Formats: sequence, C-alpha cells, structure tokens
Amino acid sequence: MAIFGLWVINKAGGLVYQRDFADGLAQLTSNEYLVLAGTLHGIHAITSRLSPTGSSSGAQVIEGETFKMTILLTVTGTKFVLLTSLTEMTADTVLQKVYEAYADAVMKNPFHTPEMPIRSEGFDTRITTLIGTGQSS
Amino acid sequence: MTIYSLYIFDRHCNCVYYQDWHRAKRPKPAGEGGGILPAVAHAISPQTHYTDPSVQTAFASPRNTLSSTSGVVVAVNNEPASPLPGLLQMPAPQQPAVSQQPTSELPFDEEAKLVYGVILSLRNMIKKLSGRDEQFVNYRTSTYKLHLYETLSGYKFVMLSDHNTDSLRFVLRQIYTGPFLEYVVRNPLVSMNSRERGIDNEYFRASTDRLIRGLSVFP
Repeated sequence: MAIFGLWVINKAGGLVYQRDFADGLAQLTSNEYLVLAGTLHGIHAITSRLSPTGSSSGAQVIEGETFKMTILLTVTGTKFVLLTSLTEMTADTVLQKVYEAYADAVMKNPFHTPEMPIRSEGFDTRITTLIGTGQSS
Repeated sequence: MTIYSLYIFDRHCNCVYYQDWHRAKRPKPAGEGGGILPAVAHAISPQTHYTDPSVQTAFASPRNTLSSTSGVVVAVNNEPASPLPGLLQMPAPQQPAVSQQPTSELPFDEEAKLVYGVILSLRNMIKKLSGRDEQFVNYRTSTYKLHLYETLSGYKFVMLSDHNTDSLRFVLRQIYTGPFLEYVVRNPLVSMNSRERGIDNEYFRASTDRLIRGLSVFP
C-alpha cells in the first residue's frame, strides 16, 4: 500500500507536474520523466482505437509486476497519473481529489499560465495533505 | 466475461498468428502488400480471388504448400496480387458471412502494428520506471483489457478480453507450454523465425481454440 508518484500531463502531452512520494521505483531525471509522459500520451490515444467492441476510452489502469499506473483523463484533456503499488485500492478516489485540488489551487490561480508547468505552493501543500510526503501512506 | 482475440508476435516484430472469438467488429482484411505475412490467420489475409473452397482450405495449412487437390499445382499463396488466370474468370463471391458484419475501421495489418507498438512502448516504460527487469502485465480501458506474456525467446502472446476479467497471464502461458510448443515448436513443417510466413496450422488453431473454450471466463 504505497503511492509512489503523481504526474499531471497537459492536453498536448507535456508533463506539467511531477512529484515522488515514496521509494520503490527508479529515480529518473526530469528529462526522462518528460519523455515517459509524452510516450504515455501517445499510447493513451492508440489504446482507445484498438477496442474490439465499439468505442472505448483510453487506458485507465496499466499494470506491471509490482506497481500500476492509474490514469484519470479529464474532459479538458488533462491527464492525472498516479503510480501506486498493485494493492492500492484508493487510487481512483485520490486522483479525483487531486483533480479538485488542481481546479482550486491551479486553475483559479490568476498567475498560472494554462498548459505550463505548475509552480504553485498552494497546490503543493494541498497534495502534501492529501497524499502525505510519502513514506507511510 | 469474454475473450476477444489472441495475437502472437515473434522477435522480429511480425505478427505470426491471430485468432478471435467474440469480436463485435470483425477485423478488416489487410491491404495487399500491407506487410502481413501469409499463414497468420485465414480471415485477415489479403483478399484473393480463389473461388474453389477446396483450394482455400488447402491453402490455409502450411503443410500443403504443394497441394494439388484442385488439379492445378499451386506453389504457395505468397503472391496474392496475381491469382491464377483460370480462377480469375469466375465471378468471385466475396466472403459472404464475414462481410455483412461491421468491420473495425483499421485494416488488420495496421491494427497489428498498433498493438505491437503499444506493448513495446509500455514494456519499455515499465522497465524504465521500475529500474528493474520488470515485465508489463496488462492494461485496462473502459471496454477491454489487454494481457501480455513474453517468452524468453522473444515471442509475445497478447490477449484482449473483457475489461473486468482477472489477469489472464496464466492462460497465455498455458497456450505457450501446451499448443505452441507441441504444434509449432515441435512441428518441423513450421519454419519459425523465417520472417516470411506465420505459424498458423490446423492443429495449433484447433488446440488453442479448445483450450480457450474450456476456460471459466469463456461464456
């Protein structure tokens, strides 16, 4: 039961927020995270076209052997990605709350430029209270 | 609870086998010269104009590359663009049952490439994120779930199922240890790693079909 990290990807596939909470995954450079976020954006678009039955959403949960990525796509195209352990059951509710915090602390912030990296102390503290600095959650 | 389809890719990125079960949208046959190998699956090969059904069944099996059931010796179906002149003169009825169902918007060769691209990218992403030699297992969307099992020899078994099934990795492993080893690896008539043809043969197809239909997730 651990939350490893949170990404926010804008509608063009750029990583605008990335934060680690717990150890367990590799430590990557910010450049590598940017590349991964772009890849995920592309994969998400393809997965919605591969459906064998009718129309489909893009990938919602991607699982490895020890961790999973839960993806929340908002109607405006922003993606919230939560990296958690496989047994974490609260990923969906956490993402929904992250979205609320994003709406309150980022979108309502007059100094924030849309689609640009999020540098907002308010958002940081909201996320910290929501997920914690990590080690325990 | 449904199983939609099964793809097998070799280590050269080629789709070597395809089979489907409850797929609402039929795969559209691949375009000619579209990069799909012969002997992958009969339903999705580029449409040829052979009208004699005995020729078609003979062609479905790689064992009968020199079959003469129709009285004409035909080498292999490697040249779909140039069907035999004698057979061309007959009006070719296009596959009746298949064409009436809705087809997916993608031709099969493009679909197979997209599937391969997705699993390869996700595999690399999971490896990079974990920092270990960790495998990608599955992903889920609102309508389907894709499972991957990769063998040490680089064969990738991909299965699409209903979105709320549990992990089907063990099934893919069973296909590998059972039908695949028995009817493909130990089959001297199947040329593996040839980059020229798939591994489809009657025994493998029937045996895989039996295995899947015996599963509890299969309705």
